[in-house]
Order: sequence, then structure tokens, then C-alpha cells
Amino acid sequence: MRRNIVIPLGLGVGVLLVVFLPLIGGDYYVYLFALVFTNIILASSLRPSLMCGQLNIGHSGFMSIGAYTSALLAKNLGMPFEISLLCGALLAAVVGLAIGYPALRLRGVYFAMVTVAFVEVIRLIAQIWVPLTHGMSGLSGIPKPNLLGMTLVTKTSQYYLVLFLMLVILTVLWKLESSRLGLIWKSIGMADNLAQSLGVDIAKHKLLAFALGCFFAGMAGAFYAHFIRFLFPPEFGFLMATNILVYNFVGGRGHFVGPIVGAIFLSLLSEPFRGSPYETIFFSIAMLSTILFLPGGLITLPARLGGLRWQRTASAPTSSPVA
Amino acid sequence: MTASLLVQSAVIGLSIGSIYILMALGLTLMFGMMHIINFAHGAVYMLGAFVIYYVFFQGGAPYFAAFAVAMVLLGVFGYLVERGIYRPIKGGIEPTLVALLALSTFLEAAGYPVFGQLDKHVPSVFEGTRSVLGVSISVERLMIIPIAAALVAGLYLFINKTKIGAAMRAIEQDKEAAALQGVDVNMVNGLAFAVGFALAAAAGALIAPIFKLDPMMGDQPLLKAFIIIILGGLGSIPGAILGGLMLGLIDSVVATALGAEPAFLLSFVFIILLLLFRPAGLFGYAP
Repeated sequence: MRRNIVIPLGLGVGVLLVVFLPLIGGDYYVYLFALVFTNIILASSLRPSLMCGQLNIGHSGFMSIGAYTSALLAKNLGMPFEISLLCGALLAAVVGLAIGYPALRLRGVYFAMVTVAFVEVIRLIAQIWVPLTHGMSGLSGIPKPNLLGMTLVTKTSQYYLVLFLMLVILTVLWKLESSRLGLIWKSIGMADNLAQSLGVDIAKHKLLAFALGCFFAGMAGAFYAHFIRFLFPPEFGFLMATNILVYNFVGGRGHFVGPIVGAIFLSLLSEPFRGSPYETIFFSIAMLSTILFLPGGLITLPARLGGLRWQRTASAPTSSPVA
Repeated sequence: MTASLLVQSAVIGLSIGSIYILMALGLTLMFGMMHIINFAHGAVYMLGAFVIYYVFFQGGAPYFAAFAVAMVLLGVFGYLVERGIYRPIKGGIEPTLVALLALSTFLEAAGYPVFGQLDKHVPSVFEGTRSVLGVSISVERLMIIPIAAALVAGLYLFINKTKIGAAMRAIEQDKEAAALQGVDVNMVNGLAFAVGFALAAAAGALIAPIFKLDPMMGDQPLLKAFIIIILGGLGSIPGAILGGLMLGLIDSVVATALGAEPAFLLSFVFIILLLLFRPAGLFGYAP
């Protein structure tokens, strides 16, 4: 009875907070939450691939492709943001198809190793293609995002842009996951041999799920490029790729909200030590302890705690007869 | 490229290739038995190098004693990782990979506050140069080759001639059948972790006097080892040795001619093509 009120109430407060955050909080919170929303897009876009049982440790590489493509198209060719964003996302998806086609036909571990190496490849390309990317000096002077010819000057307007982008992407991903396609992904992840014997083309579906994730990671990267307005190759390295994976595992892989919960929880908690080694230490401890002690992730925590409480009252029914 | 430069980069490639082989052997041994990839292998290599820094350079112990300390310490660590991480997860491949990845990022990140922000240097152990085919090469780099070869030979004897080695091969073929024959699968898996970690530590200990030491130093050799075991075929020990020699040579010769980054990009393109046309690797079984 009480739980029926708590969840909608919490959601309502959350929605109000997110919508009116720029009015209540200062610039710092606008900035912070725009990055949290970017992380949510990244984490959720990894989910289809993970559902198929594919460990993609290279998501930041696709984010990097989207970021550099969109930034360079807008900066050098003056392309409008809507188009450059799409181009960045498309290129990320195409590269995803090219890498995924050979790697996904094999066992999962091959795919994991290839994606790890891929992150390094993208970082190196961004680093040595100096005439285009400015290499290790970093790419600066990226134009602010614009919509329908109007430049979004303030961080607040960019905050609403990424909020909108996130909601659209989450809706698309949710629709796909609750369609027949989501069922196929789940069946591949649970028992790919069985799925194949029932006529599912597993290689094709794994590849599609992977490329879809790359597309949205590219989109997140494109927004990030125009929001931060400075790109530096090592930023999109191995650590960011693991963080995206950590959001999924710590949040929980059993449900659509898992990566969202994980991204919000970890981005906010790690904020005090962002950029220092302690951020990574925090992430890795969160990851290890989740896998060892809470394999279902944070989303299973309420049920677990509820189960504990129930057990306690069940084991000592006479001590508290009234409550 | 002149002939002498070619000889020099070939010999250096051979010594770097030996390091890669030590890394790849542990990975491929653990994969063959448990079907996991140890993502923490690069961090173990880094720790092996830091043991040399503290025990040999700071502590003043003889180099080979420090070398043995590195292998034993990290071997024990490997056994503990099997008990504390691999075994509790009970064979879930995906969670195990992610847990090992987390262990790796933890060890690397913790390296900064523990070892300090500055790069560390270990002084030379084998001084001087030796002339090979008319080209002078530092003894430091040359010495890697026989030491690594001795370790590889030791591993070969261990796997093929001892009872534990036989148990490892049995688990690789069929874990359940091995358990039914009385093999203590958990214990032998733990020993495989120990052997793999000790070999990675040896690789780091060999490289410590040559390269600068920093907590992220293991990332590059780990990626190279990945490429090698894909090249040689996952689970294949001869494949890992031949793949390591090939990559060491390609790496060194191409890097001398074009630079280190193109060499890495080239090897990545190569494995993608290999996966397209010969997915089992050059020497491996069908995946």
C-alpha cells in the first residue's frame, strides 16, 4: 500500500527537480546534470549490446568518433548542429558495424578484447592526425550547439537540449526493448544456441544491437563536444569506457532503469573527486563490491532490504505483535 | 632503412617479443582452463616492475632475488584473486571479466597515491653492449631473451611433465571429467592464476631496468598480449609464442620505419582482417 505511493511520489519530485533545476540550482548544478544526462545516454545505449551478452569495453571510442566528427563538421564547415550531430552518430554506427562484423561472430571474449584495443586505436588516431584533430594540443573553439538556426548561448538552454535528447533516446531504447526485438536480445543473452535453434539470426541481431548503441554513443559524444567545446584525445580512453560499463553493472542489468540508476548514482557520488585517481578507485570498488555482494545491482537493493525486513519480522513474530 | 638498423630493430623486436610472450602465455593458459581473459594482467606486470624498484633499487637486494620475490609475491596474489574474485562468482564469464577489469583499474589508480605521481627509474642491471651480427646492442635488452626463454621452457616442463600440469591439461579438455577423476578443480585453477600472475610479474620485472615505471605502464603490453592471443588462437600456447615473436618483430621493425603509433594501428587492422578470414587465429582451434 505504502510502496504504491512512494514510487510515483519520488518520480514526481524527480521530474519537478529536473525541469526546474536551472531555476533552483546555480550554474554548477546545470553543468553537472548536463553531464549526468550525457552519462545516462552512454550507459543506456550500452544496454542492448549487454543484453545480447556482448561485453563492449570500447564505448568511449564511439563517443569520441561522434564528438570529433560533429565538432569538426561544425567548426570547419559551419554545419548546423542538428546535421553534424546526426553525421557524428552515423559515422560512429558505421564504424561500429565495421568492427562488430568480424568480432561479433566469435566468442564474447574476442569481442571484449577487440573493443578494448579499439579504444586505443581511436585515441591514437585522434592523437596523431594532427592537421585535423590538433592532436594532443586538443581541439578548441568548437561552436556552441544551435537549433533551427538559433545558437543556444547559455548553459541552461544547453541543459534543456540534452534533457530533451536524453528523453528521446531513452524513449526509443525503451520502445525497442519492449518490442519483439528486445525479446530477441534477451533470448540471445540467456542462451544463444537455443535462440539460434529457434531460427533467430543471432549474428545479425548482435550486430544491430551493437551498432544501435554506437549510434547513440556518437550522439552523446556530439553533444558533449559542443557543450564542453574542447576535445582532448585521452579523455575518451579506457577509463571512460570502463565507467560506462560500471554504470550498467552497478545500476543493475536486469531492468531498463539499471543503467540510468547507475549513471545518476555514480556520477553524483564521484563528483567530489572527479579527475583524480580517487574517482577511479571509487568506481572500481563500487564495481567489485556490486559484482561480489549485489550481483543484481542497485535496482535489486529495495527488494533485498524488503526481504531482510520481512525475514526479521518473520523470525521474531512475537516480539513486535502490534507494529 | 639500412641493414644494421634492420638487424638492430630485429634483435630489439625479439627481446620485446619475449616480454609479450610472457604476458600472453599466462593469459592463454587461464583462458584455456577457465574461458576468462585476465584484464588485470597489465596491472600485475606493473606491480612486478615496482617490486623490482622497491626490492632491488631501494632495498639493495640482488636483482635475481628481487625477480624471484616479484614472481612469488604476485603468484600468491594471483591465487588470492582466484579465491576472492573468480571462485565466488562461480564461473559467470561476463561478471568475472568485469570484476577483473575493476581490479585492474583499482590497482592502476591506487598506484598513483601509493607509488607517487612521478615516473620511477630503475638503474641498469647488465651494463655495456654486445656486438650482434656487427651491430652493437645493449646487454640489458639481450638478456631478456635467454631469461624469458628459460621461463617458457620451465612452463613447458611444468605443464607437460608434472602432475599439476597434467591436471591443468585435463581441466582444459573437460572440467567435469577432470573433477570426476579426482582433480581438485578449484585448487588447480588457483595455481593457474598463480602461474599466470607470476609470468606477468616476470615480464614487468624484466622490463623495469629498461623503461620508466608508472602505474599505467601495463596497458600497452596488455593490449599487445590481446593481439598476440587473437593472432595465435585463444588457448594455444605455441600460438602465443609464435604470435609474440611475430608481433615483437613487426612492432619493432615497423615502429623503427614509421613510428610506434602506426605500428599499433597496423597490428589492429591485421587482427580485424584475421578475424574476418581466419577466426581461429593462425594456430588455434576453431572458436
